[in-house]
Amino acid sequence: MTSREFDGIRLEKVREHVWEIPREGEMNVPARVLASEALLEEIGEDDTLQQLRNATHLPGMVEPALCMPDGHQGYGFPVGGVGAIDARTGCISPGAIGYDINCGVRMVNTTLTYDDVRGREAELVDALFEAIPSGLGGGGVIDGDADAIEGALERGVEWAIEEGYGIESDLARCEDEGRRPDARPEYVSQKAKDRGRNQLGSLGSGNHFLEVQRVTDVFREEVAEAYGLSEGQVVVLIHCGSRGLGHQTCNDYLRRIETEHADLLESLPDKELAAAPAGSELAEEYYGAMGACINFAWVNRQLITHRTREVFGDVFDADPLDDLGMELLYDVAHNIGKKETHEVAVDADGHPAVGDEAVSRAERELYVHRKGATRAFPAGREEVPEAYRSVGQPVIIPGSMGAGSYVLRGGAESMSLSFGSTAHGAGRLMSRTQAKREFRGGDVADDLESEQAIYVKAQSGATVAEEAPGVYKDVDEVVRVSDELGIGDKVARTFPVCNIKG
Amino acid sequence: MTYELRDHTADVAVEATAPTLSALFAAVADGLTAASCESVPAEGGDRFAIEEAAESREALLFDYLDRLIYERDVRLVLPADHECRVTPPGNAAGSAWRVEADARGVPLDAVSAREIKAVTYSEMTLERREGGDDGDGGDGEWYAYVVFDV
Repeated sequence: MTSREFDGIRLEKVREHVWEIPREGEMNVPARVLASEALLEEIGEDDTLQQLRNATHLPGMVEPALCMPDGHQGYGFPVGGVGAIDARTGCISPGAIGYDINCGVRMVNTTLTYDDVRGREAELVDALFEAIPSGLGGGGVIDGDADAIEGALERGVEWAIEEGYGIESDLARCEDEGRRPDARPEYVSQKAKDRGRNQLGSLGSGNHFLEVQRVTDVFREEVAEAYGLSEGQVVVLIHCGSRGLGHQTCNDYLRRIETEHADLLESLPDKELAAAPAGSELAEEYYGAMGACINFAWVNRQLITHRTREVFGDVFDADPLDDLGMELLYDVAHNIGKKETHEVAVDADGHPAVGDEAVSRAERELYVHRKGATRAFPAGREEVPEAYRSVGQPVIIPGSMGAGSYVLRGGAESMSLSFGSTAHGAGRLMSRTQAKREFRGGDVADDLESEQAIYVKAQSGATVAEEAPGVYKDVDEVVRVSDELGIGDKVARTFPVCNIKG
Repeated sequence: MTYELRDHTADVAVEATAPTLSALFAAVADGLTAASCESVPAEGGDRFAIEEAAESREALLFDYLDRLIYERDVRLVLPADHECRVTPPGNAAGSAWRVEADARGVPLDAVSAREIKAVTYSEMTLERREGGDDGDGGDGEWYAYVVFDV
């Protein structure tokens, strides 16, 4: 059997693109990395594998803990990690979902072609940058008074549409139709709500952005047609999350777990894996608060979409919906935890089991933690919007500013291989401090414009340097592996035209 | 006291040393400011005060940094030029570690700053190491390593 070793962690090749860290010591389950040899080399360079192995210590983890092809070191749980934990006997871990609850992406279609936009990129990027709040302290699309915050937390996109910030079809084209039914705003702290007030409808900074893109390649015509995509078409990709409200909620609950469930925390190898036992009051409260933050993030992206439609209407002197066809293609989260029912291996008593103890398979309710991983449900699943159910759920994979992005569809193997999940992006390769040593923001932006006709506008030059194309893994390779594994199939590739960021 | 920004694949880490625990807290906070903004104006902005209490030194450092990030988002200022006074728990039952701190709040529209999302416990180290002067007449210096989510 082929095996590889990185810093004392041995991985055995199970099959093409599937590597397993065998169960040993305190590990509850094995761990698996879904990667090509080239991607595994990069994943093995930092602490990703150690963090993945640590994640298997979470009580109630069923089947192997997973690292997606774009995985990299995070804090506690690796970015690109998927962990499925028994919702009855296990736990829920805020750190395995991430600080930016419902960080995610949405893509908005247009009927414009690249020819319609060419020559007007500077005007468009300026108008978008002016209209859409980004960076620190830029405010939001709306003032988040108490009613707005409560409405967003409670009812998500439904609230936004009632307030006039969207259209009915936006709802159906969101994961969970833009509203977590189990959201409990009363479990979101006032501190978190305070932070959300200034940020409702804002990109933030870091790797978040809004990008006008053109479709350069279509790989599956029938699916692309169902998604409304064709070569040369212009689309808009929006990448952001729940901002300070979500970050604060994560930390609020990490601290509560530390004081209320210290014994469980003591048993874990990393404090950032802090988890609340399933069935505990704290687990229920965190789950409700997280659901509310998920709703807030969907509203955040909805408000940015609303403003984007207005900008396109102004720049192209047309109605954004009737004339420009700016309908939502899909909105999908990549930092999220949800109760989902999946088939898992069980022992003779019906308890989830691994290895020789597993004798059959049965459906179980699980807390599926996706941290830097995207839900990728295949055709036929009822969770996929009716319009896409026959072809599979759209999966949007944002790439770097110079390398383009992908639209995938949930693959037929995703339910058996990855709890219905795939990658979420290119995955960082270089640290932010190193990126700033190697690149200058102004140079990066100038090169992108002169060499690739990509217009970039950012609040901070440092952000441009930190997000330079060279700091990311090869998104083509990430997507190739996803496609070959059958967890997320290539549908279309897009390339940046204009990019705004914080 | 001194701090350095350290490499971390997705995030940024601050490594700091100081002769006293109070100075160490201020050094880590200065590191947070530096991670947010490469050039902070020498003047401008009003000072504001905060207080936090927690069950341990590490938890206090976490809560203090979390509070600074909160104040940034609510006051719309970049906290800079930090000063701290850390006190250990007293003898009373339930007594906590405390920090009384203040910072200069530089208006965000006066700087080009990027968002640090959150302080994390990941790889957090807070300890007194041998060597040097601990500022209280003993040997040793305080050391901290904190990863921030960007």
